Amino acid sequence: MRKTTILLIAFAWAGAGCGDSDSEAVAIEFAAKVGAQDFVCNETYDNLGSDDSSLQLSDFRFYVQDVELRNADGEYVAVTLDSNEWQTSNVALLDFEDGCTDLGNEPMNEMVTGTVPAGVYDGLRFKMGVPFELNHENPATAPSPLNLTPMQWDWQGGYKFLRIDSGTFSMTDWRMHLGSTGCDGDPVAGGTTSCSTPNRVDVELAAFDPAVDTVVADFAALVDGAAIQENQADTPVGCMAGPMDSDCGPLFENLGLPFGGSTAGTQSFFSAE
Amino acid sequence: MRRFTSVFVFVLLAVGCGGSDAAEKWVWDLPDTVPEPRVPDDNPMSVEKVELGRFLFYDKRLSGNQTQSCGTCHMQELAFTDGLPQAVGSTGQMHPRGSMSIANAGYAASLTWANETLVRLERQALVPMFGEDPVELGMANREDELLERLRNDARYLEMFAAAFPDERDSINLDSITKALGAFQRSITSFNSKVDRWQQGDSTALNESEQRGMALFFGGTNEAGVADAFECFHCHGGFLFSQSSDDAGQVFDQKFFMNNGLYNLDEQGSYPPGNEGLFDTTGDPADKGRFKPPSLRNIALTAPYMHDGSIETLEEVIDHYARGGRHIESGPYAGDGRDNPNKSALLNGFAITEQEKQDLIAFLRALTDEALRTNPAFSDPFEEQ
Repeated sequence: MRKTTILLIAFAWAGAGCGDSDSEAVAIEFAAKVGAQDFVCNETYDNLGSDDSSLQLSDFRFYVQDVELRNADGEYVAVTLDSNEWQTSNVALLDFEDGCTDLGNEPMNEMVTGTVPAGVYDGLRFKMGVPFELNHENPATAPSPLNLTPMQWDWQGGYKFLRIDSGTFSMTDWRMHLGSTGCDGDPVAGGTTSCSTPNRVDVELAAFDPAVDTVVADFAALVDGAAIQENQADTPVGCMAGPMDSDCGPLFENLGLPFGGSTAGTQSFFSAE
Repeated sequence: MRRFTSVFVFVLLAVGCGGSDAAEKWVWDLPDTVPEPRVPDDNPMSVEKVELGRFLFYDKRLSGNQTQSCGTCHMQELAFTDGLPQAVGSTGQMHPRGSMSIANAGYAASLTWANETLVRLERQALVPMFGEDPVELGMANREDELLERLRNDARYLEMFAAAFPDERDSINLDSITKALGAFQRSITSFNSKVDRWQQGDSTALNESEQRGMALFFGGTNEAGVADAFECFHCHGGFLFSQSSDDAGQVFDQKFFMNNGLYNLDEQGSYPPGNEGLFDTTGDPADKGRFKPPSLRNIALTAPYMHDGSIETLEEVIDHYARGGRHIESGPYAGDGRDNPNKSALLNGFAITEQEKQDLIAFLRALTDEALRTNPAFSDPFEEQ
């Protein structure tokens, strides 16, 4: 992966030489981990949650939007994302599963690439989510990576911003699907106008050097404090972002999202490494 | 079938006359009493597209394991329902809700039992195809496989090309949902005895049905109460549902209400995971709020309510007469009459046996028998 980064940067520099000397290429690396271990599709991980559970994890994907780097003046500037199969407009899909199960695919994506004004950067900000304007467009005509049906959340009228599954996607397997809920629709206009619970996760990594640092999404941190073996009766095993599913409480807290009357906090799922 | 034969002749003539490949214009066959449905700008109706949609609707290749089609749960003879309390998906998973009739679905202000976001048939089609919770057709992550199945069928190559003449590679997810949307929009049902009565045929309804109609639309019952039954407040209009939309409608008429089926905890809760609009909004005031379904063809679509928990029309009327359902024991025990979210229209009423029979006679007169056998809506794979 490192090799690709360097190649991309070199290519972009070469391109920049042709005229636009004010911008430079940037690649922000992401990694999916479970505590100290790398996430590997279908591996089993132990000591998870408040009840030291074991889970065989079979999917780990999320969208990020509005990626920004902090420059030497302390101001965040937008990363203009490259257009490719993993990125469109201002949204990118990070994909750490390798097709180990039926709902996955072999290609993986562990970085966000784009351009920023030339300069020195030392902080990173983004949201885990799909921008509202794209979240409610027709997924049947959406460009990649918004055309992957396992990431579509059609009954909620949007996308799963985060998808982490265990086992074989059955009703008894622990799963977490997060996206906007409480979305409205207008039969006259033909689409969604607002969502009461957007569920986009604000992430700020105050010390982040894009040249050397990696954004780590840690499943163990996501489920910290969650009783994985327990399940509120008559709710999905795990958390499908249901507002009354108490199993979501600790997970939302770790994502810095308000839940059941609690206020928004700071996320601990993502960190710089 | 005759109609489609003549269509093919028309197409051949058109091609012979100069290579025009434009799809044939769709003509709505509706009584004067009914407006045309809203048609999205990006999915105009055409004869070819509707016919393609009919094939796709009944094609089991649209399910992952090729055991179910849309028509499995939406059977024409039952006004496009399946007779089950709750639907069963292609992998055997039980849906928490029953299959809704799709007759006149093109007029629904929102689709399914309780979901504000689903306002277009094209988008709704993605839910049964790709939904994972519950699995219905089980196509998630198998869209390429689906497209390959269809592309390997010479008939579909022709049908898609005819339905989407401006697209080069027209077999894609967008065109599939558009064809399914167009077909479902074409399934209109306004040929009941009540329709004939409303169009001026004074012999269409017998006396019992007429009495039932008067009671339905606000008549005074034998106990002397005007508009005792309040039926039409939720089930009014040409659709017999207030949740109705059409081409000329300017306002959002989505409509959801709580009819007192459950009250698990005195705070209005319904059985978990099946609490109506609340499932998507999370607002406690939305617990138990569902879309009042169209009462057209209601005699064909038993059992009733979102979870099929009432078996007959008689029992439905008993439920409304009481003003809510009382479940005495078990996990769902509680008195729905006291549900805090219950509509203020449901206060219960006195009803005589004759009034009940008249009301049911009227409801049965909302059945469109032609819908059940109309070849334009039938399973093309059965015919072959």
